[in-house]
Parts: sequence; C-alpha cells; structure tokens
Amino acid sequence: MRAWAIMLSGLLIWAAHFFILYGIGEFIGDGFASRLAIAALTGVCLAICALLAAAVMRMPPRDFFGKWRMQLAFAGLGIGALAILWQGLPALLA
Amino acid sequence: MSSETGFDPALYARFPTRAPRPDEEKEELAHIWCAPKGWDYLTAVNNSYIGLYYLGTAFLFFLLAGILALLMRVQLAAPLMEVLPQAVYNQVFTMHGTVMMFLFAVPAVEAAGVLLLPQMLAARDLPFPRLSAYAFWAYAVGGLCFFASIFVGLAPDGGWFMYPPLTSKAYSPGINTDFWLLGIGFIEISAIAGAIEIIVGVLRTRAPGMSLDRMPIFAWAMLVFAAMIVIAFPSVILATLLLEIERAFGWPFFDAGRGGDPLLWQHLFWFFGHPEVYIIFLPAAGMVSMIVATVARTELVGYRLIVLALLATGFISFGVWAHHMFATGLPPMTTGFFSAASMAVSIPAGIQVFAWIATLAVGKPRYSAPGLFVIGSILIFVTGGLTGVMVAMVPFDWQAHDSYFIVAHLHYVLIGGMVFPLFAAFYYWIPSISRRPLSDRLGRWVFGLMFAGMNIAFLPMHLSGLQGMPRRVSTYLPGQGLALPNLVSTVGAFLLAAGVLLFLVDLVRNFRFAPGGGTAGNVHDAGTLEWLPTELYSVRSIPVVASREPLWDDPALAARVEAGRYFLPRSATGLRETIVTSPLRAEPQYLQILPGPSPWPIAAAIFTAGFFLALTVQAYGFGLASGLFAVIAVLRWLWESDRRVAAERVDIGAGIEVPTYVTGSASHGWWAMVILLIVMGMIFVMGLFSLAFLWSNQPSYWAPPPAFRGAVPILLLDLAAAALAIGGRRLLLRGAAWPVVAFVLSTAALGGALWLDRGQWAAAGFAAEASGQGAAVFALLALQGAAVATGALMAGYCAARALRGLVTRPANTSIDLTMLFLAYAAIQGLVGALFTRAVGA
Ligand code: HEM
Repeated sequence: MRAWAIMLSGLLIWAAHFFILYGIGEFIGDGFASRLAIAALTGVCLAICALLAAAVMRMPPRDFFGKWRMQLAFAGLGIGALAILWQGLPALLA
Repeated sequence: MSSETGFDPALYARFPTRAPRPDEEKEELAHIWCAPKGWDYLTAVNNSYIGLYYLGTAFLFFLLAGILALLMRVQLAAPLMEVLPQAVYNQVFTMHGTVMMFLFAVPAVEAAGVLLLPQMLAARDLPFPRLSAYAFWAYAVGGLCFFASIFVGLAPDGGWFMYPPLTSKAYSPGINTDFWLLGIGFIEISAIAGAIEIIVGVLRTRAPGMSLDRMPIFAWAMLVFAAMIVIAFPSVILATLLLEIERAFGWPFFDAGRGGDPLLWQHLFWFFGHPEVYIIFLPAAGMVSMIVATVARTELVGYRLIVLALLATGFISFGVWAHHMFATGLPPMTTGFFSAASMAVSIPAGIQVFAWIATLAVGKPRYSAPGLFVIGSILIFVTGGLTGVMVAMVPFDWQAHDSYFIVAHLHYVLIGGMVFPLFAAFYYWIPSISRRPLSDRLGRWVFGLMFAGMNIAFLPMHLSGLQGMPRRVSTYLPGQGLALPNLVSTVGAFLLAAGVLLFLVDLVRNFRFAPGGGTAGNVHDAGTLEWLPTELYSVRSIPVVASREPLWDDPALAARVEAGRYFLPRSATGLRETIVTSPLRAEPQYLQILPGPSPWPIAAAIFTAGFFLALTVQAYGFGLASGLFAVIAVLRWLWESDRRVAAERVDIGAGIEVPTYVTGSASHGWWAMVILLIVMGMIFVMGLFSLAFLWSNQPSYWAPPPAFRGAVPILLLDLAAAALAIGGRRLLLRGAAWPVVAFVLSTAALGGALWLDRGQWAAAGFAAEASGQGAAVFALLALQGAAVATGALMAGYCAARALRGLVTRPANTSIDLTMLFLAYAAIQGLVGALFTRAVGA
C-alpha cells in the first residue's frame, strides 16, 4: 500500500484537489470566500507536492527498481503539481 | 537486490537448471490442460478459448453495429431519403452507438487482455478462469438478446446516453428504454468481472522477476484500464438502476417536478461516460506501444513517461465528465474547472504520441500491415485529439454542441484511438495464436481502404457540422449545402466497410486457430514473452524475467523455456496451477490451484441473462426463478473452489518450495474481494452524491431528515456487526470450531440496523415515490438491503461449508472473504445512516 501511495502521490493529491474544487463549485458556489478557499487549498496542495518531492529525493534508492519507482513518483509529483496549479487557475484568475 | 516478501533474489541464479527434464512432464501438462471436445467447448475456461470466444463475439458486434452505420449513411446520402423512417433511424443510431461502445469497444479490449496477458506474463492462466468464462457468457448471451430487440422494433431509441426526461416513462412509455437499461446494467456486471480478473492477474501472476519496471506496457495499460472500470462503471450501474426504478415504480430521481433532477442522470452517466473513452483508448494505446517497438526494431522510447502518462490519464479522465454538459448551464466556475481538466488530459495522450513518433524516428521501421495501422492510428487519433482541444473551449463547444462536428470528433478519436490499433493488433498478434499469419499484402490493402474510407467519411462531417447540421437527424433539406458533404461521407463509409470485408476475407483464408501449439511463431521478431512457444498450458516452464524485452536480450531463452529449465517445468500437484507472485517485484509467493472446466459459469450466465431479460418484459415470476438459479449456479461453482491439496508445500523448480494454500491479505481471493468492495463502495458513494446533488439543486423539495439521536442504536448495531465479523475470523485463527455463528449474528445485527433505519424514515413521513429526497434515501437503504442479503447468503454458505468440514483451520479463504464483506456492509450501513441525516439537517 505504502509503495503505491508513494508512486501515485502526485496524482492522488491532484484528485483530492480536483474533487474538493468541484464540491466547492457545486455545493457552495462562486464568491469571494470560495475563491479564497480555492487559493488556500491550491497553495496547500502545491506545498504537499513539494514536500513529498523532497522526501522522495531523500529516499535511498536501493536498487534499479527502487530508483525507477522513486523517479516515477517524482515525475508524478511534478505533473500533479502542474495540474493542480492549472486546475486552480480558473477560479483564481476569473 | 532488495526483497519485497523475504524471498531471496539470489535464488534466481539457480536458473536455468542444468539437468534434463523427462518428456513425461510435458505429456502430463498436456493431459491436465487438454483441449475440449464436442460440448466441452461450452464449459472450457482456459484463457486461450475464452479469450478467442470473447474477441470473436466483440468483433461480431463491430460488424453488426457497422451494418447499422451503413444503413444510416445510406439514409443520409441525399436529402429527404426514405430508407429508414424517422422512428427506426432513432433506434438505429441508438443501437449503433450503444453496441459500438458497450458491446464492441470495451469487451474487445478486455478480450485482448484475457487472450494475451497470461502469455505475456508467462502465467499458466489468469487467476479466476471461471470468472472470465462467466463474464464472457454473460456478455455474449445478454448482448445477443439485447441486439435482437432491433428485429422486433423494440430497440432503445433515446441515444446512447439515454437522457431523461426523454427516456422517462412519460416520453418513452414502451419497453425499448427498459431493454437498454437492463441490458446495459447486465453487461456492466460482465465488464466488472473481467476487470477484477485483469487487475489480480496483472499484479499477482507475473513471471518471477518481472518487477513493475519490466512489465510489458500493454499489461500496464490493462491494469489502468481495469482500475478505471472499477471506479467508473459503478456510476452507470447506479444510474441505470435508478432510472429503471423510476420507470417501474415511480421513484422520482430525475423528475424535476417532484424534487428530482434530470441533470443528475447526466452527472452519473458522464462520470462513467467520459472515462469510458479512455477505458477504450488506454489498452489500445498499450497495444500501439508494444507494436511500435517491434515494428521500429528498437526499445520503446520513454517507457517510464508512458507509464506515468497511462496513470495520469487514468486519474485526470475522472475530472472531465461535465465537459459533456457545458451547454446545460453549469456555474461558470465549475465550467472553468472542467474546461481546465479537459485540456490537461490531452497532455498524457500527447506524451504517448510523442513517444511513439520518437520510437519510429530512432528505429528502423518496417511498414508492414501492423506498422501501417499504427501510423494511421496516430494520424487519425491526433486529428481527433485536436478537435477535442477545440471543443474543450467552452464558447466553441456551445457552437459545436450536438452538431456533426461532434460526430466527426468522436469517430476520429474512437476509430484512431481504438479501431486502428485493434486492426494493428490483429495483424501483429494473430501469428501467436494461428498456424498461419494473416497476409501482409492483403493487410496493406485493408489498411489503405480503411484509412481512406475513414477520412473520406468523417472529414466532411466537420464541415456539415459547422454548416449547422445537427446530429441525430434522419434527414435534411436540399439547398443547405449539406448534400455534397453527406454524399462524400456515405462513399467513405462504404470504402471503410470494403476494407473490413477484405479483412474478413484475409481471416477466412489464413486464420487457423492453434490453441494447442504449432502457431506461426515469432514472425515479427518481437521481444516480449507472448512470443515464446506456447501450448494450452501456456509456456512449458516459467522463465525468470531480467529485462523488458527478454527475447531480444537472451535469444536462447525460448529454447531453454521449452526445455523446462525454469520455474514449474511440470505440474507440481497434478492439477492446473500457476505461480502467484508479489505485486511490485514479482517474487514467487505460492502456488495457486486453478479450477478446470465447468458447466456452472455458463449456467450462471444464462440464468443471469434470463433474470434481466425477464425483468425487461415484466415477467417477474420467471425473472425471480431465473435469478435464484443464477445464485445457485454461482454457489455451486464456488463450492468446488477453496480446497487444500494434500501437499502443503511443493517444489516449483530448482528446489525452491512454496505453499499451495495461502490465506489473508496475500491471497488472490482477498485481492478480488477488496476490488469487489471498491465497486460496491463506489456505487454507494455515487448514491450519496445523488442525494447531496438533489439537495443542492432542489432545496424547495427538501424536508428535515430524522434526528441524529435516532441513529445511535443503528450505529451500535452496525459496529457490533463489524466486531462480530472480525471476531468470527479471529475465533477460527484460535482454532474454535464455530466461527460462523459469529457471522450469522453479524448478519442479524446488520439486518436489525437496516430495519431500524428504514423505520425511522418511514415514521418521519418519507416515502420513496413522494420526492427526490425520499427516492434517494430509500435507494440508499435498498443498496444496504442488497449488501445485507448478500452477507446473509455468504454467512449461510460458510455455515454449509463448515457442516461439510470444508472450513479448514486455523485459516480459511471463504471465512476471510465473508469477514471482509460483512465488515464492509457494517461500515456502509453506518455511513449511510449518518450521511442521509446530515444532508439538509
Ligand atoms: C465504421 C464506421 C462508422 C460509421 C460509418 C459510423 C457512422 C455513424 C453515424 C452515421 C452516426 C449517427 C450520427 C447521428 O445521427 O447523430 C454515428 C453515431 C455514433 N457512432 Fe458511429 N460510425 C462508425 C464507427 C463507430 C465506432 C467504431 C464507434 C465506437 C467505437 C462509433 C460510435 C458512435 C457513437 C457513440 C455514436 C453516437 C450515437 C448517438 O448519438 O447516440 N461509431 N456513427
């Protein structure tokens, strides 16, 4: 479980971010408070991505497969962070 | 090297073994996995047969839906044609879309998985052969009955996404819509059964040493595909269930006049429907990645990035469902989120396309039939992807919505993303199952006709769409500039059909099924394991995998595998068996005894089909009996499973010993149950979403729910049920004789909690027919009822096994799985009781 959670962490954070954003849009609606919440959430998610990326980089790669997994997780965190930023933009810029 | 399970990787150095293996071992394997004869073809469960039946049936549906497409194109060839009356046209486009999406595209790729994965992973078979057989027969029987509805004028006619209110009883009073709802509901069960098989198969039956980074990209694609089915299909299962209940009993989920909302259907449908496009595309992309490397005679460029792209597509595709609803008046901010995700999802698809182009660029491509189909697929898919990015822009979508521009876009994506890769796969992989390969010369003609036909048919549709031709119209007036593009489209469609016809000719001339060996062999000089010599038992011995393209890196591997120099060169127990390995590094864990042929999967499938069809024509008595027989057949097939063999540990090669029976979270059964519970959990979560959605969109119909206080005894009973279930398993671990008593008590507690919960809602004056809120709450209670009934059945089954002395101590898989299910049902009951009281409190 832990191994999968690390490998998929970037995408999992993206999913959590997206569905909370959708929940805010659907159930709470547009407004200053919603936008503030979205900005805060986007910031928090980006920070978690950065922290996890740093942690992944520090993990000792034990062998080729271990290194491969870490690289996948790292790239996933990068893609996840970009997607989170992109996903938050409609609310932050509009 | 590190280990995942405690297995010492140094043991791999014992392979290849040196001592010669006796020929009798091969004979014994051939005997155990012998080919069926006569009627036995119906009871076969081996992936070589089921995979082929599955693929053949899916292709048959492609042909049938293709004929419907041609009929439509004839009708649209010129203005005011009278080939198909309007009402029939509605049935024809609905059936065409539905059959293509549900009966061809998803089953075809699932079938390819069942057929190819065991060989690709060097497993003897996937872990649940009978489940595969059930999934196939359910699909085949149900699908053919569903298709037959068109011959009696009862085919559904509300479009492939069946929007209410058009499909509500008021506007579609006949049983046409019920055929769709029940037929599709049923086929989804088969898709989920297949997905469970594929996930557990890919993660647990890979050849030793095939760690995730060495897994063929097709296996990765199938893994993501199956996981997406598990998350996406529950939504449409729930949607079809709710609409059918609304039509049959008047519970107003989608009736805006009574507190329901037709947009709820669109959310539920598209939460499945858009990922469905990627569900179809990903395995096909996996096929392209495999073929492109062989065709270019080089390693796939960007393997790691492609894996990441597959995973990212799997995730992001769940954030795009509402882009089908831009024209419904979603809140602007929400529209923005979905627009952003819709653009983002093209990035992973782009990564794959660039990786394929790079592979072709660095290699020395052979422009054989599979190579041409791959290149054609890239061109067509990219065109469809670009128009996809166009319609992801909301203002453009408002213009193009429901026009022929969308028909063009979706066909470019689906044909480029799935049909061309499938034809590439036919030309590529048929030599691995047939005595003769298909003809490359004919294949090039097939490609030429299909590629030209596809573009001539669908390119002009962009134009007719931009000129204002709406989709789903059976005709149009002259003088609007639509006649020429439509005529050209029709010519193109027939050209495409000519290509498919030529392919059939090629198939008849050259395809000679050779499940028992003697195939054309590795004609493309490919590097992956499915090109090892195989028989019905798959490979003679299961190799240790040390790279992604083992046959390229070790040309002598095939000979050594055939000589039995690796794992499992013989049957260790005299039964069908395969090695179960760990999910990350594929370290050998235990030997799984595989079930053999059985009439029960097909019997269960026929009765399941009978159940659903009887409901459609409102023959409730027959339906009930059929449902009962289906349950009995499933129990009967399970009864023969979960048995220990005499030897507790066996040698699987080179003196390496593994157990023959494993329980708990390491067992394949546990994994399958967890996946099934995720499916059930998703159905339930979508039910909770439906309730919250109706509350937020129809607040004027909302009444205060019963007080939280009343939920306390319900929670206590549910907690007791969970504790009893877990306690029952513990009792067995401690050697107690009657753990099933705890299960029976657990079921009683679950039933009590449900009874209390339902009573409180009824006492508060709620009724399912009265409002959207009542309907949603009682639907959730009904789901819980289904879980409790299933739990009771499982507890009864365990009791029967205990009476027969089949519950082995100190641990037993049937007990484990029942415990998991009961504990899940308790959590579901508890969450439901709290959530329904919280919404609108
Ligand atoms: C083989 C050539 C094909 C042709 C000539 C063709 C033609 C058509 C036509 C004429 C329509 C109806 C448009 C309308 O009236 O709105 C249509 C709809 C559709 N087609 Fe195809 N099609 C083909 C292949 C496919 C394939 C391979 C798929 C999926 C894998 C597919 C999926 C659909 C869907 C989902 C619809 C929408 C149905 C609806 O509006 O409910 N088609 N196609």
